[in-house]
Order: sequence, then structure tokens, then C-alpha cells
Amino acid sequence: MTELEAGRAQTLAPARSGAALRRYRDVLIALIAFAVLASLPLLSGSKALLDFVIRCSAYGLFATSLNLLVGYTGLTSFGHGMFFGLGAYSFGLIMQKLGVPIPVAFVATLAITAVVAAIIGAICVRLKEIYFAFVTLAFQMLIHSTILSWASFTGGDQGLRGGIPRPAFLGINLANHIHLYIASCALLILGLLAMRQIAQSPFGYTLRMIRDNAARASFLGIDVWRAKLTVFVLAALFASMGGMVMALFVSGAYPEFAYWTISGEAIFINMLGGVSTFLGPMVGTVLLLLLNDTVTRFTEYHGIVLGIVILFFALGLRKGLLDFVAEWYAHRRETGEGR
Amino acid sequence: MTRTRTPGISRRSTLALMGAGAMTFAAPWVARAQAKTVKIGMPTILSGRVAQLGTSSRNAVMLEVEKVNAAGGLAGRQIEMVIRDSKGQPQEAARVARELVNTDGCELMIDAEASSGAFAVHEVARDLGVFCIHTNSETSALTADPKQHIPNAFRTARQGVHDSIVGGSYAAAIAKAKGLKKWATCSPDYAYGRDTTAEFTLYLKRFAPEVEIISESWPKLFQPDYTEVVTKILQAKPQALYSCLWGGDLTSYIDQANIYAMFGQMEVFAVNMADYTALTVVKNLPKGIHSGNRYIKTFPTTPENAAWGDAYKAKYNEYPTNWSWENATAIMLMAEAAKKANSADGKKIAEALKGLTIKCPFGADGTVTMRGDDHTLVGYAIGWGTTIPQEPYVPEVKAGDWKTIFELEAEWKKSKGYA
Repeated sequence: MTELEAGRAQTLAPARSGAALRRYRDVLIALIAFAVLASLPLLSGSKALLDFVIRCSAYGLFATSLNLLVGYTGLTSFGHGMFFGLGAYSFGLIMQKLGVPIPVAFVATLAITAVVAAIIGAICVRLKEIYFAFVTLAFQMLIHSTILSWASFTGGDQGLRGGIPRPAFLGINLANHIHLYIASCALLILGLLAMRQIAQSPFGYTLRMIRDNAARASFLGIDVWRAKLTVFVLAALFASMGGMVMALFVSGAYPEFAYWTISGEAIFINMLGGVSTFLGPMVGTVLLLLLNDTVTRFTEYHGIVLGIVILFFALGLRKGLLDFVAEWYAHRRETGEGR
Repeated sequence: MTRTRTPGISRRSTLALMGAGAMTFAAPWVARAQAKTVKIGMPTILSGRVAQLGTSSRNAVMLEVEKVNAAGGLAGRQIEMVIRDSKGQPQEAARVARELVNTDGCELMIDAEASSGAFAVHEVARDLGVFCIHTNSETSALTADPKQHIPNAFRTARQGVHDSIVGGSYAAAIAKAKGLKKWATCSPDYAYGRDTTAEFTLYLKRFAPEVEIISESWPKLFQPDYTEVVTKILQAKPQALYSCLWGGDLTSYIDQANIYAMFGQMEVFAVNMADYTALTVVKNLPKGIHSGNRYIKTFPTTPENAAWGDAYKAKYNEYPTNWSWENATAIMLMAEAAKKANSADGKKIAEALKGLTIKCPFGADGTVTMRGDDHTLVGYAIGWGTTIPQEPYVPEVKAGDWKTIFELEAEWKKSKGYA
């Protein structure tokens, strides 16, 4: 819808003020969302609820960043989980081996991720469609195998043992459950806001053009390779943030974080929530985690239940939940206007 | 036409989901309403490749819990087990463990996770301070490394270093008697395989210095085809082979190596052979494979152990596994510690459990001990024997000597910087 609105904008000046207005609206929504999340511990004493939101932050950042590639640029990465794992491992190792303050480790992890993503991206984004998907998968398996074989450094298949130290900084003590919760919410909201800005910026629209017709974008003078590489690195950074939240939550990092099944889960989340709206992956995250947590309480045959759900979405709705809602809403508004 | 109906479906499924969500968060209040029972949470692997082992852990726990409950429970409180699947993923294991304590109101925990999952649950135990017994992780560092040590966590599983000491000395004796100098190894390519093989060869060479490793193979975990590995070993012409392949990997390896008549050409030492999950699955179990005991009802050769194995078989129609005895032992120890402390409180049980010796069908001398200084199980039955193709599969097991184990373990701890 926003794309249509943008298309309708005829002159530059109103478009610019419209964009500024939208940006303020996004910031306002983010602030409200953060206020609601931050007040949750006051309303409910359930630690499980807070755990749930922390995990939603980790997976939400990860899945939404994948949507920057899949939904906005048309790059279906099967190996996005490598950056989730890379974030968790880099952060955990820096904290364990160097004992630096958490913000330093956070920034250093982002820097490492950016370098690795730039190298891997430079190779991958030249390729299209299935070739891109498979080369990203191959790199993911490379990183996973490295973690497994470099046991003296990464702990091999046992993961990073002994817990991740969480020294307090600026009065924030991440070893405290509430502090960790607030920090995770803040990272989620900031991450989502930043990704939203990327998606709504001129660069974001360039990505959409590349998705729809890369040749045309190229003829218009856009360096397609550079744009794809940029978004690949940006998406990796947010996935890495998700990995760090997860590492803090479980106080460790495990090879499973870099395995292809994690990438699969992110793709599953995107299918559940939908890729045509910005918040689709976030909705998908909540859905998947809620389904996972409730179903595993009652049965060990959760695979069957989740399989049926995905079949329902793939064959029944033929789109993600939020896509479906958005279309239904648009349809209703249209018919309402027609009346 | 169908389009007009779709919003209805969406609303209904949304309602169902909201209901499910409400149930998730309402659970603590439901849990607190039944405070008379004591809940023990147990994350384990009930789906995927090693589900059979997780299920056998659950079976063994339930078998013992029934007995404890019939005898009055933990200090008068009936035990209620809350057992949940972690899918073998550490982050799920951590989540499930937290959920069991925070939402379901579990006061005690049995961590029936393997390798990385156990370390993830260990961090949860460190964080929440809940009493926790690790039942399946054999990684020595879990209890040997002082950095891992927390007052509320224990281990009732066998340990890699114990197995290696006993295996190394047993194999060295045979190597000397039969003049086996050229050895090959073939173990799965991950931490357990690498570490266990390194420790085994370390102790083998210590007891028999003339031994030489002439070939090493590292097949991938869950590799389906072992042809290249088998031919590589045959070409190297070793006199003996060591392997710590396990479960389905070991059985497919043996089935494939049988085609090349490998077992007639060398002595084979497969530490994980003597477990019913492997023994009963191999198509033609070769005679004379040397193996460590995992769980076998004929070792220790006591009526108590045989009775326990038979009771399990009668109830679940299959034999127990290595994980079964380890989990059963956890419940036995908990029950005794609760009796001694006269309380089902985690802190008091932990205090009572330190250094506690109990009668146990799986003990080398009829008892097992929870060692006080590093919270790990010692004195359990450990030994090696050779296979025959039919029951009882491993008729005679030569018991390992715990005095030697203790000496060498202390030395090993020093070399690792743990002591």
C-alpha cells in the first residue's frame, strides 16, 4: 500500500514531507511499542512471558532481517542463519576470552559480521535465484563445520561452555532477568525501526526495483551488485544482533545456531507471517514461537502439527498471515468505498 | 464464493491461538494449586535421531518414580514428572528447562540432555539455582572442570575419562597377550569421538608402549555409507581396530564391514557395542568384538541387576539402554537424599547428596557413590567383554578396577589443569 501511495505522489515536495511524516509516525509507533513491552513486567509476574518476549526479540530481528533480502530484494538466502550463529559465537567468545565491557563486544561483533558478510556477499550476490540460495547454504555449512572442527577455540559440538560473563555497564546488569528483558526489547525496537528506515528509504525502493526487474534498474544507472551487497551486509548485521540476544538468553553459543535448520526456521517464519508487509516476519515469529511452545507442551509429535500448519498456510491461505490480513483489509476498504 | 468465508476461518484460528496462549500463561496458577506434590522437570530428546534414547530415559525414570511414590514419595510428597521434548537443540533445552521451573513450578530438575544441551541446561541451573541432576552427558569437563562447578548440579552419567582408563588398560592387556602392535582407529568426527579416541589411545599406549596407531578414520556423524572407511582400514592392515561409533552409526558400520569380512582380520574394540540398541539391531553380530558395557543385564552379574532389566523389559517390551540406568540412578539417589534430609527441598537434597552412597543394581560392588568434591557418580559398574551373536550377547565382562580409575583420573585432572 505504501508503495502505491508513493507511486501516487506526483511532486517532490509533498512526497518529502510525507516521508518525514511517516518517519515520525514510525518513531511514535516504536516508542509506544517499547513503552508497552517495558511495562509488561509490571503487569504480569510471569517469567515465562518475559522469556518469550526475549526469544521473540532474537528470532524477530533475525527473521525480519531475512525479509530485507527475501521480501524487499528478492534474494532468497538459505544460509542467513550463519550470521545468527556468527553473532552468537563472536559475542560469546569476545566476552569469554577478552572480558571487555558488553557494548564493546557488541560493536566488535557487528564489525566482524560486517567483514564476513561483505566477503561472503561479494561472492554470493553475483548469483541469482536457486544458485544464490545454494551458495549461501554452502557458506553456512562451511561456518557450521568450522565451528564443529575448531574445537579448541569454539568448544566444538559442545558449544561455548561455562556461561557468558555479563558484567554490569552503565547501571545495566544483563545477568538480571528484567534488565536483560528491557535490553532485548530495546534492541528489537531499535533494530526494527532501523530496518523500517532502510526499507522506506530511497535505497529501500531501489531494492524493490531490483527485485522486480534487475535489468531495468541497471539500465537506470543503479549499480545492482553494490546495492545487493549493501543490503546483504545490513541484513547480516541485524541477524547477528538476533544471535547476540539469543547468546545472552541461553548464556552460551551452540553449533545449532549456525546450522541450516535455523535458516529454515527463519524462512518458515517468513512464510507464516508474510513477506509483503514489514511486520509480517514479526507476526510470524510470535506465531511460530507460540505454536512451538504450546504444541511441545502437549505432544512430542510437534513436527506433524507444525507441518499441518505450514500446509494450511501454503495451500490454504497461499500467503503469510499478515499478507492475508492486509489484503482482506484493503479489499474491505475498497468495497466500502464502492458503496 | 469461498472468499466470503475466509475471514471467519482466520478469526477462529486467531481465537484458538489466543486460547492456547492464555493457557501457556495461566499454567503457573494451575501449577501452584497442587503444591502437595513435588514436580520434577525433565527436558530430554523425544524426537529426531536419538529419540529412542530419550524415550528410554523417560521409561526408566517413570519406572523408578512409581516405586518411590508407592513408598511414600520424596519426604512424604508424591513425585509428579513433567517431561518435555527439547528436540536435541540446546536453545530449546534451555527454554524448556526455564519454562519447567518458571511456568510449571518444578522444584527439581533432571537434565536428560546429551552433549551441548546439557551445558545449556547447566547454565539455566546456574542462573535459577534449581537443583539439577545431569543424567546423560558423558563429557568429563561438565563436572571435572572447576569453572563448571555449581553447588546445585550433579551428574549420574558415566564419564568419558573413566571409560578410557578402563578400556585402555583392558585393550593393553590383550595387545600384550596377542602381540597387537599396529592399531587403527575409526570414530565419529565430533568432540565426543575425537576426545574419547584420544583418551583411549593415551591410556592404551601408557599400558602398552609398543602400540602404534597406523591409520585414523573420522567418518561424519550419521554417515550412511562406510565403504571408503572400511577399505581404508583394510588396506592399512592393522592388527586391531578401536572405534567409538555408537547407535545406528555403529550398526550400519558393522553391517557394511561384514561384507568385507573385516572382523575376521583384526581384533575389534568398539566401546559402545554392548548396548541393546546396537546388539539387537546388527544383522549378523560378529563373535568376539570387544566392548565396554553400556547397559547389559548380565553385568554386574547380580540378581538385582537382572531383575531390574527384566522389569523394564516386561513394562516397555524392550531392553533398557545406557541412558536408562543413568536416569534410574538419578531417581534412586534423589529418593535416598530426600530421606536423609527429610525434605524435598532442592538445597537440602543437594547437601544430603554430597558423598552419599546408596545400594544400587548398577554399582560395581552393589553400591554407587555421589562423589562430594566434584558432584559426579563413581563406583558404577564398568568393564569390558567380548560379544557372541545371541543372548546374553556379552556373556562375560571383566570388571574395571576403581582404584586404578581414581589414580589415573586424578592424574588426568592435573594434566588438564582441573585440580
